[in-house]
Amino acid sequence: MDFDVVVLGTGLSESVAAAALSKAGYKVAHVDTNQYYGGDEASLTVEELAEWADARASDDPSSDYLANQRARYTSITRSQTIPPQSRQYSVSLAPSIVPSIGPHIDSLIASGVSRYGQFKLLEKVAVYDRPGYVQSVPGSKEDVFKSKALSLLDKRRLMRFLMFAAGDFEGKKELEGKEQTPFVQYLQDVFSLKDQATSAIAYALAFCTSAEEPTLPAMQRIRQYLRSAGRYGASPFLVGHYGGLGETAQGFCRTSAVKGGTYILGRRVVSVESSPDDSTKDEKSTSTSHSYSVKLIDFDERLTAKVLVSSPDYVPTSLGGNTSTSKQSAYAVARCVAIIDKPLVFTPSEVPEDTPSTDTDGPTDGPEDEPSEKPEPPSYDVDTALLVFPPGCLQNGSTTTAVHALVTGEGSMSAPRGRYIVNISLSLSESTLSSSAEELLRPYLEAALSLTAPPSSSSVTSPATSLFSLFYIHHTPAAVSSAPPSSSSSVIVTPPSRPHLPTIADEATEHAEAMFWTAVKQLKAAGVQRTVPKEEAEEGDASVEKAGTEDTSPDIDSFWPPLDAVEDETSDEW
Amino acid sequence: MADAASGSTERSVQVKLVLLGEAAVGKSSIVLRFVSNEFQPNKEPTIGAAFLTQKCRLEDRVLRYEIWDTAGQERFHSLAPMYYRNAQAAVVVYDVTKASSLEKAKTWVKELQRQANPNIVIALAGNKIDLVTPSASSSTPESEDEADDATATPGETGTSGEPESLRQVPRDEAEAYAQEAGLLFFETSAKTGEGVVEIFTEIAKKIPIDQILASTRGGQRPGAASGRAAQEGGVNLEENNAKGKDACNC
Repeated sequence: MDFDVVVLGTGLSESVAAAALSKAGYKVAHVDTNQYYGGDEASLTVEELAEWADARASDDPSSDYLANQRARYTSITRSQTIPPQSRQYSVSLAPSIVPSIGPHIDSLIASGVSRYGQFKLLEKVAVYDRPGYVQSVPGSKEDVFKSKALSLLDKRRLMRFLMFAAGDFEGKKELEGKEQTPFVQYLQDVFSLKDQATSAIAYALAFCTSAEEPTLPAMQRIRQYLRSAGRYGASPFLVGHYGGLGETAQGFCRTSAVKGGTYILGRRVVSVESSPDDSTKDEKSTSTSHSYSVKLIDFDERLTAKVLVSSPDYVPTSLGGNTSTSKQSAYAVARCVAIIDKPLVFTPSEVPEDTPSTDTDGPTDGPEDEPSEKPEPPSYDVDTALLVFPPGCLQNGSTTTAVHALVTGEGSMSAPRGRYIVNISLSLSESTLSSSAEELLRPYLEAALSLTAPPSSSSVTSPATSLFSLFYIHHTPAAVSSAPPSSSSSVIVTPPSRPHLPTIADEATEHAEAMFWTAVKQLKAAGVQRTVPKEEAEEGDASVEKAGTEDTSPDIDSFWPPLDAVEDETSDEW
Repeated sequence: MADAASGSTERSVQVKLVLLGEAAVGKSSIVLRFVSNEFQPNKEPTIGAAFLTQKCRLEDRVLRYEIWDTAGQERFHSLAPMYYRNAQAAVVVYDVTKASSLEKAKTWVKELQRQANPNIVIALAGNKIDLVTPSASSSTPESEDEADDATATPGETGTSGEPESLRQVPRDEAEAYAQEAGLLFFETSAKTGEGVVEIFTEIAKKIPIDQILASTRGGQRPGAASGRAAQEGGVNLEENNAKGKDACNC
């Protein structure tokens, strides 16, 4: 079967790229060795998750893909019992919160994929304080006003920081020369913020994983998140229904299919070769367009294409994709997935340091409910929320690294009623790699569970039970060190996305766009004509002219073409 | 014909309907017949839409079908779980001139029972009866294939020949199966339009509209529409972007 592009792996980046290539008019075949969509970003039922874990824990690599996966997922332990209603869970292998403004949301909307899925606002971000208690995060001006924990002076300092962070701070004197300063130190030095505030900002606003992270990127993230707030609601972040990115990947794949993409799942890749008609193996030889041939198990015909886009785990060493699958990993994250039977309750532990409600001189827009009413309920049952553990907050936890725990429940369609998935991640440094994932994360799971028996409740309640738990370490390969393949001869290998809650979706989308343009360039160099849908040519006056004067398809000028009339259709009357 | 009462949008219920069936049985043709019927003859839906929508009036209610085509992903058994999610209705299509397509339809019914919402309304449709009805007008047997979309495997209709001999699936047999499995049953021709609208109106009658309305209003949607039902904290990404694009210029 002849295609223009074969895409191996249905991870988010590959899926977005496949959708864009199909929409641009190229003939795409999209393959995954797994039975499920989403690759390393898949959303799985509990049963599938257990199978996934077992396949990677066993030491019988039945395929190259699994062997590669086994090197990247280590220290796997899980509880044996699968809870009932397994199919009603969507557990994400790559938990994410998606900023409302950014490349990922842009692509969701521009591609039309947004209509396939739904999102929920992240309800709450809180910092773990001590068993049973959290500190709320002053993530907006309103929060700062409302906070009872902050002194007036602290409020002013925080406000000043938030205003600064929301603006165009590049080149400002507060930042100049300090771009690489460790962020926590920067907050203390420049904005005179105290420990609790710096910790909240660094780990719960900028989502730093350590105090050493440089200031500029942290500031840029905060700005993106501050600007995201208000687009869809108070929270800057969205959580995708049904497990997030895995579901989103399915949406992009469907979009590709709708535009003619061919989907083949659950078939092992037997071999990937440069086609024999290629006279020379010299990759430098100009204008020799390569042709790839992919053999799948139980599939008679080979899939052939001029361009190959692939997740690192599929690329055979012979095709030069191995630079990115080399054993040294750039990042490692210890992960815990636990299913619990009670919600977390966020009980603020704030102790007023200043007479409350002296800040009435501050806000002018909501005076009526200021003086008497409690600004916040004493405690808050959360369905979809994020709990942040700053370094050193647990005795037996990490002293250098922050830990993030994403909780998703029925509200985000990822668990049946009364059940919650807790997804804990801890970035690892060299020193912690000797411990097992379970040793590292068990204390955090216990701490999270302590919040399910709120101290505020009068009766003695027992904490939630963990119905299922899985621990593992996820290694992300180092980014391809060499420049991205620009010659027309390389396999386009997906660059790794840092598996970090608020950045992975945007990063994966940016990588997809880069791969898309590389593929387009290679396809052009190989002389592949794309099929321009009639409607596109007839749509606007400008494109009519183009189509009329040229036989060849017009140049692609955007990642996503305008949505078709019918795709945009919302009101058929009948 | 009827101008949509402007208030009716409030009461319209969105129903996700998925199509299933072997390649080239006429899934897309049935939808095209249903969606772009005579009322908008000049408005051929574009190939490969995300999904098609069509309102269906039922007494005082308006159902808004959101019809999902397989987009060819069924070909190598690669339909995503997303496809089945929240589907309240399914039309499983087979070709009356191809016995194996009914067997395939049965496996799709099983798949639906495994993957989909347990209350899903399933209709079984034996398509292409224009090829077997004795009175079949002998005109343009290829028209149906033309109407088919890009996702379909190109025409393998048994054109020409004795109409009767083309039938491979007796109506009785399929109907008995449908009854046993609790499915609505129809024989249809996307080409002539016979039986097509009936599928959708009969499904509409079986959809528990009141239940859906109640549950969407209550903010809970156990398997309710994937659509715009605003659930607490739920977000529709297009909301802030759809503004300014008028829906229809007719």
